[in-house]
Amino acid sequence: MLTYNLRLAWHSVKRNPMLTALIVTGIALGVGVATPALTTIHVLGQDPIPQRSGVLHYVRMDSWDPAVPYPGRGGIPTQITYRDMREIMKSRIPVRQTADFQAALYVYPGDRRQRPSRETVRMAFSDFFPMFDVPLRYGSGWDKAADAKPEAVVVINDDLNIRLFGGGNSVGRIVRIADRDFRVVGVLAPWRPRTLFYDPTNSGGQPESIFMPFNWIEPMEIRSNGQRDGWKSMEGNPTYVERLHGSETVFLQMWVDLPDPTRARAYHEFLDAYVREQKKFGRFQRPLDNRVTSLSSLLAEWQAVGPIFKAIATISVLFLIVASLNLIGLFLGKFLARAPVVGIRRALGASRASIFLQHLIECELVGLIGGALGLLISVGVLSLLNKGSERLTHRPDLFQLDVTMVLAAFLLSLAAGAIAGIYPAWRICSIPPAQHLKNQ
Amino acid sequence: MEFGPIFRAAIRHRARTLLIVVQVALSLAIVANCLSLIRNFKGYMTHESGFDDDNLVWIVSEPFSPAFKEDAYQIASIDDDVRRLSAIPGVRAATTTGFLPWAGGGSSGEVRVVGGPAIKFRTQWYGADPHVFDTLGVRIIRGRNFNAQEYEASAERRTQFSIIISKALADLIFPHEDAVGKRLEDPDRLEVYTIVGIIDKFYSPYGGWPIDEYALFMTDRNFTYLVRAEPGKAAGLVPVIERTLLRANDGRNARVKTVHELRSDYAYGYQLAVMPLNFVMILLVVVTALGIVGTTSFSVAERRRQIGTRRALGATRQAILRHFLFENWLVTTVGILLGLGLAVALNIGLVTLVEGAKIEWPILAAGVVLLWTVGLLAALGPALRAAQVPPAIATRNV
Repeated sequence: MLTYNLRLAWHSVKRNPMLTALIVTGIALGVGVATPALTTIHVLGQDPIPQRSGVLHYVRMDSWDPAVPYPGRGGIPTQITYRDMREIMKSRIPVRQTADFQAALYVYPGDRRQRPSRETVRMAFSDFFPMFDVPLRYGSGWDKAADAKPEAVVVINDDLNIRLFGGGNSVGRIVRIADRDFRVVGVLAPWRPRTLFYDPTNSGGQPESIFMPFNWIEPMEIRSNGQRDGWKSMEGNPTYVERLHGSETVFLQMWVDLPDPTRARAYHEFLDAYVREQKKFGRFQRPLDNRVTSLSSLLAEWQAVGPIFKAIATISVLFLIVASLNLIGLFLGKFLARAPVVGIRRALGASRASIFLQHLIECELVGLIGGALGLLISVGVLSLLNKGSERLTHRPDLFQLDVTMVLAAFLLSLAAGAIAGIYPAWRICSIPPAQHLKNQ
Repeated sequence: MEFGPIFRAAIRHRARTLLIVVQVALSLAIVANCLSLIRNFKGYMTHESGFDDDNLVWIVSEPFSPAFKEDAYQIASIDDDVRRLSAIPGVRAATTTGFLPWAGGGSSGEVRVVGGPAIKFRTQWYGADPHVFDTLGVRIIRGRNFNAQEYEASAERRTQFSIIISKALADLIFPHEDAVGKRLEDPDRLEVYTIVGIIDKFYSPYGGWPIDEYALFMTDRNFTYLVRAEPGKAAGLVPVIERTLLRANDGRNARVKTVHELRSDYAYGYQLAVMPLNFVMILLVVVTALGIVGTTSFSVAERRRQIGTRRALGATRQAILRHFLFENWLVTTVGILLGLGLAVALNIGLVTLVEGAKIEWPILAAGVVLLWTVGLLAALGPALRAAQVPPAIATRNV
C-alpha cells in the first residue's frame, strides 16, 4: 500500500514540476535555516569529557566578605584561597584531587638567537592528567613524589615541543623556565578542547603550553595569570609566601574525583566540618555555603550554550514553521485542482482515510525532498559559520553535522511536510464524491 | 466602501483568511524579536567607552631580564619608556597605566566613606601616572589632576593617597554632594584615599561584575602603557613603538596592539550574531510576501466570475482594486493585532535568555509598518489582475 501511495505521490510530483519546485524550495529554506541553528546548540552543549563528567567535581566555598556577597555569578566565589586549599587537600575522601591555576612564565630557548617567550603554565598536581584525560603523545605526567618535593619536571604541549625541540620524542630533554632547568617528562598530543573546561574562570582559552608541579608556587613565587578576586587587605609588609598563607584572595580551582554519591556526601560533610572549624577562628563569617558540583551540572549551571545561540535557534525553528504554513495554500490549490479525480476514486470505493493518507504521503515525500536539499544548504551555511567564527573559536571546523543532526533534519522535514499537508489532505478527502462526477 | 461583501468574503473563506492571519502574526512576532535582539547587540557593539578608542595603542612590556628584580631599575625603565613613547612623532600623549580599555576585566577593590556608614562600594581600581586622562581622552570635570609629587610618592610605601574617581562612582557614593575633597578608606582601614578629582564618562566591561562604570585611579607605575596617536596614525605606530621599546631595553618583550583592534574583537561576537538574524528576517519577509501573493492570486482566480458580474453591474476597476487591497489590509491587520500579542509572548521567553533584549514600542511599530507595507505590496499584483477581469466574463457559460 505504501509503495502504491508513493508511486501515486511521485506521479503527482512530476505532473506539476513548477509548483513542486516552489514547495520543495520553501521546505529546503526552512530546514536549511533551522538545522544549522540547532547544530550550534547541539555542538556547544556537548559534554567535553562525557566519560568523566559525572565523577569530576568542582569545589567552591563561601569564604567571601561578611558584609557583601560575592558579586560574580553564582553568588559565592568561583575559586578558593591558598590556605583553604592546603587544608582540604589533606582529605582522603576524593579518589583523586588537584588544585590548579594558570600562570605565565618565560621560557628560554637553548638557541640564544631566539628571544625568550612568555608561555602559559598550568600549575597542577599529578592527578590532573588522569582526571582530565589529558592526551599524551610521549612519556607521561609526573608522580606523587614529584608533587611533594617538588621535582623539576614538566609536561609540554605539542606546539611548544615543536618550537623548542622541532617536535619528536623530547622526553628527558631540558627546558629552561624562568631561572630554573626543568626536565620534560611528557609531551601532549595535539589537544584542542572546545573550551578550557578545567578552568571555569577562563573563557575562550586553549590548554597551556606547560604543565608544572603545583608546589613550585612557593620557591619560584609564581603568581596567577588568571582571575584573582580579593576583598581583604593584609597588614604590614608580608613576603609572597606569607601572603599566600594568610590571604583571603581566591585564585585556585579545586577539582576532586568522587565516583559515587556516598563519597560525594562524605566530602561535602568534610568541607562543612572544616568551615565550621574555621568559623571559630573568625573566618568564613558568611552563612555556611559549600558547593561540590559535578562537571556535568557545572556545565548546565554556567550555560555552556550561550543564550544568544538559543535565541537564534528559537527564531530559526519559528521560521521553518512560517515557511511551512506558507505551503498550505500551494498544496491546497494543487489538491483541489485534482478534485474530479478524487471524486471518481471515492465513487469507486476508496475510503476517506486512504485518500487522506495518499495525499499526506505526497506531502511528506515533498517534505523529504525539501529536507534533503535543506541538508545540503545546511552544510553550506555551517561552513560559512565556521569560517566566520574561526576568529573566536580558533578552530576551522567546530560546527559540523553528525548523525543526530541529520536525524533532526529528517524529523524537521517530516514536521514541515505535516504542517503544510494535513489541512489540504483533510480538505481533499472530505469532498463529497457526487459533486465532481456531475460535471464530467 | 463595501465593507459588507469584503467581510462576508473573508468569513466564507475561513481557512484562507485564517492562514494569512496566522502567517502575518507569526512573522510580526519573529521580525519584532529579531529587531529587538539586533538592537540589543548593536548596543553592546557601539557602547561608548568615553575614551578616544580609535587613536589609542595598547602596550604591554614583559620583562624577563633578572635586572628587573631591582625596584630602582623597574622605575627607571618605566620612566624611560614613557619618555621615549611621548617623543615618537605622531604621539599626542603616553602614559603608564594599570588600566587598559577593552581588556574584558582588570583589577577591582572596595572602599568605604571615612566616618560614614559601614557600606562598601566595589569599583575598578587602577594605578597610573598623571598623563592617563589626557591619553585616554577623558576630561576631569571637577577638582584637579594628579601632580608630580603625588606621582613620585608612588615609589614609596604609602597609607595616604590622592585618588581620582569616575563620575558614576562619585554619584553612587555621594549622591547629593560634591565628592571632591571627600575621604575614603579601605574596609580594613589601613589606607586613606582623598578624592582630588572626578572624571567624566568611564566605561569598561568587567567580566560579569556590575562595576563597568565605576573607576578609581591612584598614582602608580606599571609595565603597561597607553599611547594616544594623532588621528589616523595609531595603526602605523604599532611597529614603531615595538622597535623603540626593544631598542631601549632588550631584557623584555613588548606586545603592542591598537585599541581599535581589541574593540573589534570584542564586537565581533555580536556582529556574528546579528548576521543570521538579519538573514532570517529578510528571508521571512520574502516568504511571507510570497505566501500572500499566492493566497491572494488563488482567491482572485476563484472569484473571476463574481468579479466579472460586479463589473457588469457597474463596479469600476478602481472599486475592484480597492476591494482586494482592502480585504487584504483587513486580514493583515487582524494578523498584526494577533502578532503584537505573540511578539510580546515570544519576547518574554527570549528576555529570559538574552538580558536587555526587551521589546519596545518603536520596534513593534516598525514591525507593524513593515508588515502592512509588505502585505499591501504583495496583494497589489493579484489585485491589479483582478481589476483587469473583463465584465463580459459574467455572460459566458463555463
